[in-house]
Amino acid sequence: MKSFSFAVLLFALITVGCAHTPQVASSPASPAASPQPQPIIVASTSDEVPPKPPEATVKSPETPVNSEKGTVNNDTNIDYTEESKEGEAPTIADPIEPFNRAMFEFNDKLYFWLLKPVAQGYKAVVPEEARVSVKNFFSNLGFPVRFVSCLLQADINCAATEVGRFTVNTVWGIGGLMDPASSKDLNLQKQDVDLGQTLGVWGVGQGFYIVWPLAGPSSVRDSVVIAGEYFLYPPSYMSEIAPWYVGPIVRSYEEVNRTSLRIGDYEALKEAAIDPYVSLRDAYVQYRWKKIRLKKGAQIDELAPSGMRMER
Amino acid sequence: MTLAIHGIAAAGGPFGPPQPIAREAGGLHTAIGYWHHEDRYKNGTEFVTRQDQVYSEAGYGAQNRWDIYARIGVSNLKIQDAFSSTNALTTTSNNDFDENWKFFGTLGAKVFYPFGKTFGMGAFVQGTYSFNSLKDDVSGTNNGTPYRAVLTVQDLWDVNFGIGFQATVPYGIRLYAGPYVYYSEGTASLSTNVPGLQFSTTDTTIKNTTNAGGFAGIDLPLAKGFRLNVEGQYSERLSAGGAITYTY
Repeated sequence: MKSFSFAVLLFALITVGCAHTPQVASSPASPAASPQPQPIIVASTSDEVPPKPPEATVKSPETPVNSEKGTVNNDTNIDYTEESKEGEAPTIADPIEPFNRAMFEFNDKLYFWLLKPVAQGYKAVVPEEARVSVKNFFSNLGFPVRFVSCLLQADINCAATEVGRFTVNTVWGIGGLMDPASSKDLNLQKQDVDLGQTLGVWGVGQGFYIVWPLAGPSSVRDSVVIAGEYFLYPPSYMSEIAPWYVGPIVRSYEEVNRTSLRIGDYEALKEAAIDPYVSLRDAYVQYRWKKIRLKKGAQIDELAPSGMRMER
Repeated sequence: MTLAIHGIAAAGGPFGPPQPIAREAGGLHTAIGYWHHEDRYKNGTEFVTRQDQVYSEAGYGAQNRWDIYARIGVSNLKIQDAFSSTNALTTTSNNDFDENWKFFGTLGAKVFYPFGKTFGMGAFVQGTYSFNSLKDDVSGTNNGTPYRAVLTVQDLWDVNFGIGFQATVPYGIRLYAGPYVYYSEGTASLSTNVPGLQFSTTDTTIKNTTNAGGFAGIDLPLAKGFRLNVEGQYSERLSAGGAITYTY
């Protein structure tokens, strides 16, 4: 039970997306490996082909925001409107901001003191091609989450694409280490779907903002699907075939590998932001909002908010 | 005492077309394939062996001249009449050795020389090793006394060398054929000596008797970088299989 609880905790903390290992995504329609929401959007990967025009990309962390530190109303009934009017930026309530800021600081230190040094050492000895292959492997294991999400969103084309990708990459991609499905010939791009997004597509509001220790930015809606994504992610079952500590080691390795491919992104965000906490929060909510809007069929042009705005 | 029993050969797998699968500029290829292998030996007792392989392959080649590849997969093994008794007082529960899927690995390399746009020839070397011991048990009675024994086949390996001639016909279809020689061996032992059974507790080297054969195949371009390869080999018996390759 102890090992199971530890695995669940570690999974929950890691898979939501570490605040300090910003997920690289070229566009909301083609995020990086993790099936979980990722906060930082800095286009830098070369292994994913953005299927959407540049207008669809989420505002980069360098983009100035007009949110102000400490101006959030802690009223839990804040009229969060995910279905914002055209041209308006998405917003999110932050009633537990003191806690969130504490967790933000914790994650920040964890990143700079532990994760980044380990990832830098790992990067120094492992060639980029190998690290990309490892990322591809774990991404391929995320197939069940994406497939189920596609089905729950009644998107058959999405589900079929995922099945095709998984088959091709597993069989001809050496167990997922390679990604032939994304080649120009096959053009089976990874679907940018997850269970939290599915709830959003169903019309479930995202609730308030939460920063999880280790895991980083999230919302109530994205947090409640952690269990579902845990059970749909094959490495979660490592304890069934190996000692209990193998699972956490594998997940930690996955995180180190992912971080090694994005060193510098989080630093860029911090340098560009007046208040990194607010910038991260805004980037996260905007990214999730666009991801859901795109799934609902919104036009790309509609997803260009006039600016970021926090509820007061 | 070492008793040599011939006729049990490891399945080498398909050799593929002489021309490398990789792009001319160099690159990877991967494949998934199935291979059914049969062999036979006659010397008073006849053993017929059958293996079915399912494998995944990855390789690298360049310049349309050379290619190296590796396979990993699983294979079964069936040896007909391995437990047949030659003693009237010994009965057996089953006559055939039958083991299910065990891992094996294959390494290969090939070189190719084109005579023009249509014809070319190449040479290859390919070896296979079975990582796991293959086991099956037999039970029965010997002179009224019940027994149970396990036959273990281990360290099964083979090496093949051949020359292939290729013709490229319209639509990029490659036809190829050629001769090859091969050698394979393994070690077999029975857990208990049973009168009438052809294996004993002494390690027995098993190997093929016929060392030469011929192969022929066709390699068809499909779509989007995929190709279909179908091949047959004949030495003691006919073996055949196919693979779908993807070129990066």
